[in-house]
Amino acid sequence: MSIRLTVDNVKLSYGDFMALKGVSFEIESGKFVTLLGPSGCGKTTLLRCIAGFLDPDEGNILFDGKRVNDVPPHKRNTAMCFQSYALFPHKNIYENIRFGLRMHKVPLSEHEARIHEAMEMVGLTGMDNRKPYELSGGQQQRVALARCVVVRPDLLLFDEPLSNLDAKLREKVRVEIRDLQRKLGITAIYVTHDQAEALAISDTIIAMNHGVIEQIDEPRRIYDKSANRFVADFIGTANLVKGSFRERDELNLVVDSENGTFIVQDDDYKELDDISVAWRPEDMVPVLDKENPPAGCNLVTGIVRNSVYMGERLDVFLSCGNNTFRASVARDYLIPEGTEFTFAVPFSKTRIVKG
Amino acid sequence: MKKRKKFDWGYLLLIPGIGYIGFFVIISAYVMISQSFGLYNAITGEVAFTLESWKNVLDKSFFDSLWFTLQISIVVSLVSIAITYPLALLLQKSKARKWLLPLIKIPYFIPGLVGSFLIVNLIDYHGLLNEVLILLKIIKEPMRLRNDANGIAVIIIHIWKNVPFMMIIMFSAIEGVRQDIKDCARNLGANSLKVLWHITLPLTVSSALVSVILTFIRTFNDYAISSTAGPMYPLSLSNLMKTTAYTYDDWTTAGCIGVLMTIVTVIFMVLYTILGKYLKQGGSKDA
Repeated sequence: MSIRLTVDNVKLSYGDFMALKGVSFEIESGKFVTLLGPSGCGKTTLLRCIAGFLDPDEGNILFDGKRVNDVPPHKRNTAMCFQSYALFPHKNIYENIRFGLRMHKVPLSEHEARIHEAMEMVGLTGMDNRKPYELSGGQQQRVALARCVVVRPDLLLFDEPLSNLDAKLREKVRVEIRDLQRKLGITAIYVTHDQAEALAISDTIIAMNHGVIEQIDEPRRIYDKSANRFVADFIGTANLVKGSFRERDELNLVVDSENGTFIVQDDDYKELDDISVAWRPEDMVPVLDKENPPAGCNLVTGIVRNSVYMGERLDVFLSCGNNTFRASVARDYLIPEGTEFTFAVPFSKTRIVKG
Repeated sequence: MKKRKKFDWGYLLLIPGIGYIGFFVIISAYVMISQSFGLYNAITGEVAFTLESWKNVLDKSFFDSLWFTLQISIVVSLVSIAITYPLALLLQKSKARKWLLPLIKIPYFIPGLVGSFLIVNLIDYHGLLNEVLILLKIIKEPMRLRNDANGIAVIIIHIWKNVPFMMIIMFSAIEGVRQDIKDCARNLGANSLKVLWHITLPLTVSSALVSVILTFIRTFNDYAISSTAGPMYPLSLSNLMKTTAYTYDDWTTAGCIGVLMTIVTVIFMVLYTILGKYLKQGGSKDA
């Protein structure tokens, strides 16, 4: 049923443009992995290579160790949920879901039970005779999902399946997708540019940019221990300042920057050339009593340029020399624009990223 | 309190379009129908109600013409779609379509009469086709293709003229089938042939029907091609109408033929429309 996927040094060009510049990774059977990156980073191209719609120029794609580069899409036993849902407009819901069973030559006697089981899983019971155009976006996506799982594929592929849904529905359906995948135990690859979605849904995130993989990690580490400037900045929001390493003592690394000296507690850094200091807006703590700042923190002082009430949080944009840092604090604070203000960033919440 | 429904003055904007078409359709239908009953005469102005022409028109030559024209139209529509559909599929996948497609469309823009002359010259008794076939010793005697009783020349010219016309419709219909839907079908286990059968074909069958209807009507009502390349007997209906009016000076009977031609055209339009709807529904249930 479920397979181990290996992508080995896959390269692909469109004319002069290299969409994939040698991508390698492995996904264990039954895992939910997200390819995350901005538009044009090669994530959909990679997904289409795995599905067999595109042939890599170089490199191999292996299902359970077997090379599938030459296997046509209809023989790969993958099932893909498309961004556009791609429902067959001339078929009703029942026939849409049945299509894969017919193509896979599943005995007729099994069709009805399997289709209704799939429809029940996605909450579409009783909609057999509806036409795709009679359904809402969320329902259409559920049909697409049922159509995928009914064939019991070895690999589930998702190409930004939720991007056409509204925010609330997106959250609901993504939980459903995750539950369904867990229940069925099918290896899944999910393409998205939405970092919140990636963090919420994945066992592992593969962050991509310009056709290369920037980091492969579990969601918590991707966010807390971003490997480089791109990942830190793309996943969530990061405050970044270029720095140069001065010295270290036991736990602490001392880094000089144009915004002063930072003490960083980060045991995960790989190198100390070409680095930036990074921290998250939500790790900035307002310092109300300047005479007694909290211990174990870097202090960042600047002029409050904007103070934006977001409802659940208050976002403060702080001008410090040539840089603007963003702080996200509890909504109860009143931090007036135009005043000088100091924030504290715990040593343990600052880290070193490459770039 | 009930609100009175106000007249929407916006409907008046439709007058230039619908009014124009409606006016001319009604006028010409009125002229044709009243002429067939002797109630309209544009030449002498003498009018008198008569059913004489309606009694005379339904003779053997009319039925021969009707049958001949129907046969030609059906054969042309079916053969044209049989050529166009696979050709459109091939073209859609071909990299050379950028220059092949305009090339294929050329006959559509050439006037029927000119095309007719062109092809007649090729297939005539001592035309290029016969000469080459004799030279290659494939045939001994030249074949009579032009003005033959079966209307072979007419059929060939109509197909030559109608394939490009159908191509304009079918190419965009096939091109219009979304790639993600086809990809999805492949992903779910369909090979190219099954994608064609289960996806492309059902999604383009209504366009194919439309192009068959239009080709049928174009062929059924043609005058230029059948008058240059068609047989002396039976004449196509348009030819019969023209001959009746101009050669026999019998405008009343010609009016009857005109009415009958229009009725046949309308019957086929309705028939095809019903068929199209039925196929569309059937396709969705089972295809």
